[in-house]
Amino acid sequence: MVKLFIQSIKLSIKSQIEYKGSFILNGISQLFIFFTYYFMIVALFSKFNNIKGFTVYEVLLCFSIIQFGYSITETFFRGIDKFEDLIIDGSLDRFLVRPRGILFQTLCSDVDFIKIFRVIQSVIVLIISLINLDIVWNINKVIVLILCLISSILIFFGLFVLTSSYCFITLQGLEVKNVFTDGGKYMAQYPIGIYRKGIVFIFTFIIPYAFINYYPLLYFLDKTNNTLYMFSPLLVLIFLVPCLWSFKIGLKHYNSAGS
Amino acid sequence: MSYIVVDGISKTFKVSKRSSGMKAALKSFFKRNYVYVDAVKDISFSIEKGEIVGYIGPNGAGKSTTIKMLSGILLPTAGNIKVNGFNPFKDRKKYVSNIGVVFGQRSQLAWDIPAEDTFDLLRDIYKLDDKKYQKNKEELVKLLNIEEIIKKPVRTLSLGERMRCEICASLLHEPKILFLDEPTIGLDAVSKKIVRDFILKINKEKKVTVILTTHDMMDIDTLAKRIILIGKGKILYDGSLKKLKTEYGSYKNIIVKTDDTIKEIKLKGIISKKKIDGGYNLIIDSNLVTVSKVVNYLSKYHITDLDIDNEQIDDIILKLYEDYKI
Repeated sequence: MVKLFIQSIKLSIKSQIEYKGSFILNGISQLFIFFTYYFMIVALFSKFNNIKGFTVYEVLLCFSIIQFGYSITETFFRGIDKFEDLIIDGSLDRFLVRPRGILFQTLCSDVDFIKIFRVIQSVIVLIISLINLDIVWNINKVIVLILCLISSILIFFGLFVLTSSYCFITLQGLEVKNVFTDGGKYMAQYPIGIYRKGIVFIFTFIIPYAFINYYPLLYFLDKTNNTLYMFSPLLVLIFLVPCLWSFKIGLKHYNSAGS
Repeated sequence: MSYIVVDGISKTFKVSKRSSGMKAALKSFFKRNYVYVDAVKDISFSIEKGEIVGYIGPNGAGKSTTIKMLSGILLPTAGNIKVNGFNPFKDRKKYVSNIGVVFGQRSQLAWDIPAEDTFDLLRDIYKLDDKKYQKNKEELVKLLNIEEIIKKPVRTLSLGERMRCEICASLLHEPKILFLDEPTIGLDAVSKKIVRDFILKINKEKKVTVILTTHDMMDIDTLAKRIILIGKGKILYDGSLKKLKTEYGSYKNIIVKTDDTIKEIKLKGIISKKKIDGGYNLIIDSNLVTVSKVVNYLSKYHITDLDIDNEQIDDIILKLYEDYKI
């Protein structure tokens, strides 16, 4: 399965570098977009020293973890993000006549390799913030950091799967999804704890961003000693269950399109 | 039991209905009226191994819907399908290794890269043994005459070249059944011939069961011994092409070149007489009157040329459509 996925990635890249000029220009534009976000946070902190006790590098750490997960998802799982197109152009029919899982084939269908620039940038920001934070490293902290990065990928993956399930019924993308993915992403770039209670509730129990960028970070930044916080990113796995389940239900209701 | 058994399947789609215009569009935004459309109604047939079956009917008759149900893409609203012991929808993953599907209007090849790369990907998707795959690929590529074509990016190919690649792609895993949904649509005469010859060949040599939908009656004429005619979701005719021709194809077309004026022909079985440039076009029913009788009758005129034609299968189908009011 991994072999097939890598094979598909290779083909996607091959397709994309067929258009050299647009590939390079896109890459440059990715740089600009990302650093606008970055400088906004830095600019904000030139006025304030901290937001509810979080310093600039602590926020940047949070920012980079969320950006990392989002950009990995956008890069490698592009097919699921563009799922409505797959339904409309009939690609899904094609997947259905092949002896592999539909979700897996969807993931294989497209890789937006240009977004790898964003992944690299988020890693750079992550390193910058780690250097500037005085962290007393130990094995637990390494584990927390890795868990955060992985579950950050998983949460966006889950969200994309969830929103694409809806396409089976409407045959169309849903703009509402951006409230959760894009909108949620913007909010989650800051530690969830700085928001009002209602928002904290939503981003803890409905879309569990807080288990990636807030509770584990409290542990990571020595703001708490509770080791339970360390494993909170694992709760994202529970979130994946209804996402995958709804995709399965959606597939049952699929009605194809056109001749 | 037959190889493919279709037992009383129906497929109903829920379609939102609204009239044209902005007002209606806005109205339907808030309250939608749904209608249920039966794309396919209670269809049954069975197909033996190694058959080539032409599945024909006008646009919107339910051809593609049936193909989609047979290939496991859609679940029938009612009824059962058994293909080689599989239920196409429920046993999808196991079943689809046995079938190849070509949608004439949709491509399965990646647009920007050579078809050969897509072939290699298909090898991994179907988990094919590499040696067997290479051998099979070489054979297909040679048969379809696409040795050079598969090395060029798909977007640079002509429609005919692309279709040959599509067909090759759908046969790499050596399926036992091939579904072709309008395989010759938009192709030129040469490409059509290559595709047809190829289909005949794999049917004969590899015993591949072929089910094809088409609007091109030449396809049917050259390929299918059996046709299933469907209209408005129901089967109207299921049987040999020969029988259809003798039953419905008793009309003959006679073109008479003459400068004389032919008055009314007092014979039974003359269906129509039309004046054309430099002569007449007669259509006769050969069940009621023999050709020789007509020619005999015409011999009193000065005839420069005479052309007798069997009715084209296109006309037969048109007549069938008329008979069944579809």
